[in-house]
This record gives sequence, structure tokens and C-alpha cells, in this order.
Amino acid sequence: MNEQTHRLNCYVENKPGVLARIVGLISGRGYNIQTLNVGPTEDGTVSRMKIDILGTDKVVEQIILQLRNQVNVIEVTSRRM
Amino acid sequence: MNQNAKRTGAQALVESLAKAGTEVLFGYPGGQALDIFNCLTDAKFPFVLGRHEQGCVHMADGYARSTGKPGVCLVTSGPGATNTITGLATANIDGIPLVVITGQVPMSLIGTDAFQEADTTGVARGVSKHCFLVQSADEIPEIVAEAFYIATHGKPGPVVIDIPKNCQQGLTSAQYPERVSLRAYHPESAATSAQMTRLAKLINEAERPVIYAGGGVIASGAAKDVATLAHRAGIPVATTLMGLGSFDERDPLSLRMAGMHGTPAANWAMNEADLIIALGVRFSDRVTGKISKYAPKARIVHVDCDPASIGKNVSVALGIVADVKDVLTTVLSRVKSATHPEWIAKIDGWKKSHPVTWRQMHPKVIMPQAVMEAIDKATSGRAVMVTDVGQHQMWAAQHFRYSIPRHFLTSGGMGTMGFGIPAAIGAAIARPDHKTVAVCGDGGAQMTFEEVVVAVEHKLPVTFVIINNGCLGMVRQWQELFYGKNYSGSILTVRGRAANERLEQDLKYDYLPDFVKLAEAHGAEAYRVIDPAKLDATIAKAVKSKKTTVVEVIVEPRANVYPMIPAGKPVSEMVFK
Repeated sequence: MNEQTHRLNCYVENKPGVLARIVGLISGRGYNIQTLNVGPTEDGTVSRMKIDILGTDKVVEQIILQLRNQVNVIEVTSRRM
Repeated sequence: MNQNAKRTGAQALVESLAKAGTEVLFGYPGGQALDIFNCLTDAKFPFVLGRHEQGCVHMADGYARSTGKPGVCLVTSGPGATNTITGLATANIDGIPLVVITGQVPMSLIGTDAFQEADTTGVARGVSKHCFLVQSADEIPEIVAEAFYIATHGKPGPVVIDIPKNCQQGLTSAQYPERVSLRAYHPESAATSAQMTRLAKLINEAERPVIYAGGGVIASGAAKDVATLAHRAGIPVATTLMGLGSFDERDPLSLRMAGMHGTPAANWAMNEADLIIALGVRFSDRVTGKISKYAPKARIVHVDCDPASIGKNVSVALGIVADVKDVLTTVLSRVKSATHPEWIAKIDGWKKSHPVTWRQMHPKVIMPQAVMEAIDKATSGRAVMVTDVGQHQMWAAQHFRYSIPRHFLTSGGMGTMGFGIPAAIGAAIARPDHKTVAVCGDGGAQMTFEEVVVAVEHKLPVTFVIINNGCLGMVRQWQELFYGKNYSGSILTVRGRAANERLEQDLKYDYLPDFVKLAEAHGAEAYRVIDPAKLDATIAKAVKSKKTTVVEVIVEPRANVYPMIPAGKPVSEMVFK
């Protein structure tokens, strides 16, 4: 299967340790994050992360499911770039 | 208590732990946990002092595995916290609910390389379900409530609460919440009606169905429902290692354990099945073998509470994210009564032609498999069996007939040596109504033997059986089969070591330690058995003793675990001897 860049859009609770958990989940599988963008949303208690990673559809899908399992992750969507 | 009365964060913690239902706390003190320990003497629950933090977490884990309730553990910062990592990883991969509280240096010192400072949440993150770093005493009651909620909802797992010393000392009037509501974490999920219709249809139409039951069946309390489904629809049941006890192995429909060291009947049945109903399993590589050749003729239904588990390792025809018990109770009314005489006859043929059995290699040397049968006999199959990791773990899985959920406690996913002794102590504290027997190898027993004193102190009638083959048996077996008999690092006796590890031969002992002396030094009643004729009587005596007993059984060092499907190979390459 071909590797492709996927952009993950994550809405997470704005709490310490959340960024580290998400980045750790991706990097711990040996996947390199190409771009990472974190910023506030209008709701100050929620942050938005844009994460670009290179991977096969299957791997990225598994990462998304694992991300959704995280206690502080509100929603994850993705699209191929 | 006055709603506005202030008490320290440490007092609030101990009070919250009691409110969360803590029945017993396992742990080990240290500088940054002293404020909490100072309040424990007033706590409503007892404290059990382990002898190493790894042991403390495994005790809490054994408690959790045998009751289904979260095990609770308290340690100090730095080395106390890092010593819990193996225990956290062990619980995490097997989905065992734990709440582990670690002391931390005061917030003003975090990041200064203070004495006994470690980034605990940073280190624990990858091996836990969730971590909290407390920022103020006011947060403590709510975080404790959330930690217990997270540990027990969705796929269970260990949760770490790291509490800086200044938060333990700070004053707070915060109260334990009546309800937990987490903004982002809503793990409950139910099957749709369409999924249930499809599941019932698949079951009703299957000609060669197999139920494949895992640890999730036990976690969900669904063992009775599995039996009802199996009997109504005439479906044979294989289990994973973690699923042992979820279906009575004495039942004619039982295929017993599947996988690398599973029964030929279980593996061949999955290979020939047209439908696999997988309940609370994760299709570990130890079960599937070569993934592209796994269950080639079957449609797979996978029911699990963890959405990330479905479709992770095998493609499924129907994936249902839901509680196993809920799914089974709903589908049962739609399942037609059925029998599959041809299919069952075929399976019974395999059971007869290829039972999991063993043969005596030398008339005067005990075979390790016979030890498991002796324990089975002495406890009428009703003991809570706790194992360490290695060959003996597989023999315990193969040669003891499991019939009761939560009666086989083992480190399945992580394969943690040193798990057996402390986990058995936790289980014995949790279930004083049952006899607990821990089976360990001589390698794993040396990793956490210090915890035996805890069993003795608490007068726990646990029997620790040490299967001593003078080597790290599973490593030795792989070296024999796959590494040209190059026994590097796996021989514990003085004789027989590889050239680069050779020791002087004039040592007083060929093998150290002397487990009988070691056990006696720890205050336990100890036996050593060498003669096969004395095995049954010695095991029976130890098991009946009201004291903590250690039985060292000197066994055949050449014994291997069979059958075996070598790692990454298909079922067709099963080796029988």
C-alpha cells in the first residue's frame, strides 16, 4: 500500500500533557510528523491540532482510532492531502 | 463533615480513595509521599507494605484481576515511580483497572533535577491508559473520581495520579464529586439493531461456527452468556490465554486454548471454521500466527469494547463496538437452537487423535506438566492459578482444567517475568475464600521473591510452586529450536553455560539460590520435591497447609512446550514434539 500524507484535525481539551500524549502516540509507532500546528479555538478550553503525517490508509486509520480512545481527545477527522 | 472545612490535599486524597471504594492499598513509602502516608493510619482501608514498587503494582493488579475492581497502589517519586512502569505496562496491555498514585517533588522544584525527581507522567504515558499531574490540592477529589472512572470504563486500564508534595500539603475544601462527567471520554457504545440482526443471521446460517472467547468476556462478566450461546447453537468454544476460565474446559464443546501453544483441536477448528465469533479478543500475533493464513475459510465477527481493536490485526465481516455481555444477551433471543453433528464429530476426532499430552522423559525426573496435573488434582480444579511467564505458564494453561472466570491470572500481553509471586499475594488478599496457587519458573521467581515475606506477614495460605529446571526454559526452548542450540544467557546452573559465561567448576553449588533455604529465610514453610513418586503428596500437603508454602519442584530441564506453532507461521506448521 502506498504511503500518503494525511492531515489529522484534532479537537482536544486544553490541558497539560495532551499534546505530549498525542505526539507520543504517533511517534511511538515510528511515524514522523511532517507538520504540527496547535492553536486555541473560540472556546478557550478546547485546542485544535493540525497534524500532517505520512502513512498508509490502514496505519493512519489505526492511529485515528487510538487518538479517539484518548481521554482528552474530543474529535478527530482526517483527509488525504 | 462541614462542607467548608479545610483539610490537606493528602487527607482529601485518602478520603477520596475510600469514597471511590478502595478496599486495600498496596504501596511503598518515600520522601515525597510522606504527607500521604501520614494520613494512612487514619484511613478506612488497610495498607499492605510491599518490598519493591514493581511488586506493589503487581499485587494491586492481582487484586484487580481476581475481583474486577480497580487495584490501588501508592508509591513515592523518582525511583518509586519508575519502578512501577513494568507493572503499569503489564496492566495496560491486558486491560486491568489500576489507580497508581505517585508522590512528586513540590511544583517549585519540578524541572530542577531535584532529589528523586522524575517526569513521572512523561515516563508513564506510553504504558498507561491515562495520567494526571495534580496542580493544586483543590483538584485532588475530582481527579481521584475521574481516575477510577477512566480505569474501569471502556477498555479498563491503569491510571496514574502524580501529586506534587506542595499539593499534598495545601489546604482544600473540595469535595468528592457525586458524579463523574468527562467532556471528551464517552467509551460506552452499543450494537445497532442492524448489527444484531446480521450477527444472529450469521450464527443461524453457519455450518462450522467457532466461538473465540478472550479476556473481554471475563472483564464484561459474560461467561454464562457465552455458555448459553454455545449450548443453544451448538457452537464449540476456543479461548485465548486471557480467556481461560470464560468457558468450562470440561464441557464437551470446549476446544480449550487456541494459539501458539494451544490445542490442535482449537487451532484446526479455527482454520476450518466458516464463522468465528470473536468476543473480547484482540487477535494477538500469538494466536493468529501468519496473519494472511489465519482462518482462511471463516467470516469473522469481532465484538469488543475497544473500537481501535476491531480490524486492527484481521479483517472482519462484522465488527461490533459494544460490551460483550450486552451483545450476547440481546442476540440470544434471536439465535435458533441448533446442532452441527458433522462439525462436532470432526472436532471430536481431532481431540481424540491429538490431545495435548506429554510423556515421561526419564523415569526418575519429574515432568513439569505433571506438576500442573498434581495442582489440579489437589485443588479439584478450583484454585486461583496465578502464573509467572515462560514455559510453566503455558504448561499451566494446558494441563489445568479451567472452569471459573478470574481463576487464571497471568501476564498475557506483556509477558512480565516476576508477575506471579506478587500478583498471587494481591489475589489471595482479595479472595480469602479461595485457595491461591502461584506457579513460577526458577527465573521469574528470583525477580520478585522478596514479596514472599508479605504473604507470610499477612498469614496468606498461598502456595508458591517453583518449577525449577535450572534454566530460562522458554528462552532455552527457542534457542534449541530456532538458534541452533546456542544456549546464550539462558542457563542458570554452573554446568552447561556457554563458553563466554563459563564459571569456575569448583563452586560449592551447581545451582543458586537454594529455594528451600530462601523460602525459610522469608518465613515460609518450604518443600523440595525431586522424586516423581512424591510429587502428588507434597503438592497436596502444601496446598492444604494454612501457612504460606513454597514448593520447589526439580523438573526435567529438557522438557519443551508442545504443541507449538512457531512465531509467524500458519497452523499447518504446528510442531508436536
